[in-house]
Amino acid sequence: MNYDLVIIGSGPAGYVAAIKAGQTGLKTLVIDRKYIGGMCLNWGCIPTKSILESAKLFKRIKHGASEFGISGFDPDGLVFDWAQAVKRSKSIVQKLGRGIEYLWKKNGVEYLQAEARIVSPTEVEADNRIISAKNIIIATGSKPRQQNSFSDAMELEDFFSLEQLPEKPLLFGRGAIILEFAQFFSMLGKKPIIVSTGLPLIPKLDDYLEAYINKRLKKDKISIIPQEELGTIDGKLYHKDQPLDYDRAINCNLREAVLPDMNIELELRDGYIKTDEHYRSSVPGIYAAGDVNGISYLAHAASAQGVAIINHINGVVSEPQTNYPINIYSDPEIAQLGLTEAELKAAGREYQIKEMGLNANGKAMTEGASEGFIRLLFETKYRQVLGVQIVAANATDLISEAGVLLELEGTVYDLARTVHAHPTIAEVFMDVSQEGLD
Amino acid sequence: MNYVFKFPDIGEGLEEGKIIEWYVEKGQSISSGDALVKMETDKVVTDIPSPKSGIIVQRFGAIGDTVKVGNALVEIETEAGEATMASASEPAKANSTEAIDEKGFGVVGTIEVAGDGAYLPSSNEGIAIEQIVQTKSQKVLATPVARAMAKERGIDINLVTGTGPAGRVTSKDIEKHRSGSEAVGLVQTPKMQDAAPQTEHEFVPLTQIRKTIAKNMLRSKQNAAHMSVMDEIEVSELVTTRARINAKLQGTKLSYLPFIIKAISIALKKHPVLNAELDFDNERIIYKKSINIGLAMDTDDGLVVPVVRDADRKSLIQLADEIALFADKAKSRKLSLDDMRDGTFTITSYGSIGGYFAVPVINYPQSAIFGVGRISDKPVIKDNAVVPGKVMPISMSVDHRIVDGGEVARFLNFVLEMLAEPMLLLAYEGGER
Repeated sequence: MNYDLVIIGSGPAGYVAAIKAGQTGLKTLVIDRKYIGGMCLNWGCIPTKSILESAKLFKRIKHGASEFGISGFDPDGLVFDWAQAVKRSKSIVQKLGRGIEYLWKKNGVEYLQAEARIVSPTEVEADNRIISAKNIIIATGSKPRQQNSFSDAMELEDFFSLEQLPEKPLLFGRGAIILEFAQFFSMLGKKPIIVSTGLPLIPKLDDYLEAYINKRLKKDKISIIPQEELGTIDGKLYHKDQPLDYDRAINCNLREAVLPDMNIELELRDGYIKTDEHYRSSVPGIYAAGDVNGISYLAHAASAQGVAIINHINGVVSEPQTNYPINIYSDPEIAQLGLTEAELKAAGREYQIKEMGLNANGKAMTEGASEGFIRLLFETKYRQVLGVQIVAANATDLISEAGVLLELEGTVYDLARTVHAHPTIAEVFMDVSQEGLD
Repeated sequence: MNYVFKFPDIGEGLEEGKIIEWYVEKGQSISSGDALVKMETDKVVTDIPSPKSGIIVQRFGAIGDTVKVGNALVEIETEAGEATMASASEPAKANSTEAIDEKGFGVVGTIEVAGDGAYLPSSNEGIAIEQIVQTKSQKVLATPVARAMAKERGIDINLVTGTGPAGRVTSKDIEKHRSGSEAVGLVQTPKMQDAAPQTEHEFVPLTQIRKTIAKNMLRSKQNAAHMSVMDEIEVSELVTTRARINAKLQGTKLSYLPFIIKAISIALKKHPVLNAELDFDNERIIYKKSINIGLAMDTDDGLVVPVVRDADRKSLIQLADEIALFADKAKSRKLSLDDMRDGTFTITSYGSIGGYFAVPVINYPQSAIFGVGRISDKPVIKDNAVVPGKVMPISMSVDHRIVDGGEVARFLNFVLEMLAEPMLLLAYEGGER
């Protein structure tokens, strides 16, 4: 069996790279030990967003419907059907999985469900055979780091098989997922607690957004307990003389690389596969894309890297992408793109920040979603926008406008002169940029 | 009030001129219509008259300076009570419409409408210049910040190589361009100096006339669909007739050219598409009512094309006199813009210098040019016998976009018939049956 390219892992890095490879005529094989789509599709991005939507709708009906003029039901009698929420999420996952398979087939990509083992720089062993490959992409992703504070903690992978949701979940770890999970439980009326393995709670976020999150969690009555403040008395966990009250611990630890089985030695960096600017590992012909190279944990970053690798294999020169939006599907959503204030300071750039709340925006008010703001960070010389931060019910979509702006090196002038339709929440972009004019 | 007189657009498409001589001094009092300055333009050497009466406050430009159309020439303190058009004291920017609007001043007005047909090929330069302006104003793909940086650093962003998607110029490209151009400057300058003595090239700036010729030739070749036809015609009869007429004539003798002009003028009436131009933008053909024949003339400076107006209404002698006058003027560079505009068809008698067949370039936007080679003694067949003959080679180019091959052939047959039998000129003169 000879291939131009073997991709190990079928998550957002692997499957996108495979499609691009097929489109450009590379004979390509994808090997994944579990499900097509990887963590993102099967127990990450998509299913968590699906259950979060269920929870948001639940909360909205329970606490908001009467204000909108909807009555005739007992808000206290509302029941959250976890099994149905999971079923809904699974049907979405299935549909998307079939979509990927269809695209692979259409572009001539072959798929093998098996454990893969790299036996030489040009050979992969899977399904009891040796497969030759001119190039190999390792796209095996990551998983939450093992922890030993909670012996009974469950892994995210298993969360969707729970028959019943815990009432007092303890979320152990750090990162966007911990915020999303905490709010998920909170919206359903459960009492989550966060045991944070470090601060800030969400790495890479601007201090301003981190402060907003802390404020918001306080309002939601979700407490954050730093891990170092935990103590043990008689084998039981205590926080400030109070025993920790939880019925289920969930491991939301920061992630670590999942390395494939291999006979060869790849240079690592902090446990991740070390790569150069073209995502090449230390062994010629072997690339690493997505979480496994430690550059980013974002699915869209992984996909972009996958495409960049195929371009590199095909000798197509492409500028590396650096502007990945960080999206958090909290309530309300949070999105960040480009440089943070701390990064601007560190770079010694002269900058200005303009912020505008959504509370005066008509569309936001009608939707009952006026919590939040848009924040622009721009350098003062040309007023080029270098960073955008959004808190809004639809922040994760609003950020895309900022994406185009940053990609095209746009300025506040360009944003200010762009007509935004009325009424929209995006109008706030125009309004805040007008504040940033001379 | 002070009036700044700007170098007017004295012919379509004229861009600049060189100051040859100043006729006025600072402080001098002048009247409207007085000559201010002698300018060499890409068409002619001409005097620019003052549009106002008053006192010269300031002169702009020294002898030898090139002045762009729209740039200030003089500032005049106009007499009280006289209407002033503008009091702008700043030097005018190029492309001023004010100057163009200045009709009503006799000579300026005349010059203003002049301009076409000065050189071969020539005319409507305005079209070409409009195109150039459009090309320049077309926005190069660039990010907003790249534009701002280029502007600030005085970099022409059109010259920067963009490395972004679809060649977009990014801020990085501007950074690179700056350092790049500095490097080029350092490396290339000494190279040029080194190279010069070895290769002994001479660098001569283009004269206005050469610039115009080059531009017009290129424009013709780029725009017209050239198609050429060549033929030979036995003209013993014409040779004899001409000799007989010249024997009787006092003063100017006839060359062959008046006969050719005459024959062509008669044929153009029957084939008006050869006396027309294609107005492609407006999707129409413009048929010219007058028959104004341009005559390509070789001068030391370059090619010029004076125009014999209403050639169809002039006698052979009148044509001969006019040709002689133009030849004199061309030699002494005294042709006026008026002498060279409004041509509708062009004849080039290259044979007077040498050459048998040629592929003449159309005097765009005219639709045809007729070339005459040198008449030679050649054996011809007459009444089944090879006899000595006088053979005139002709070469004609037409714009195939509007002139079809059949039309040219019929036109040529008619012209050549008249040249072979010059008495037919009498028969067809003034109209056919």
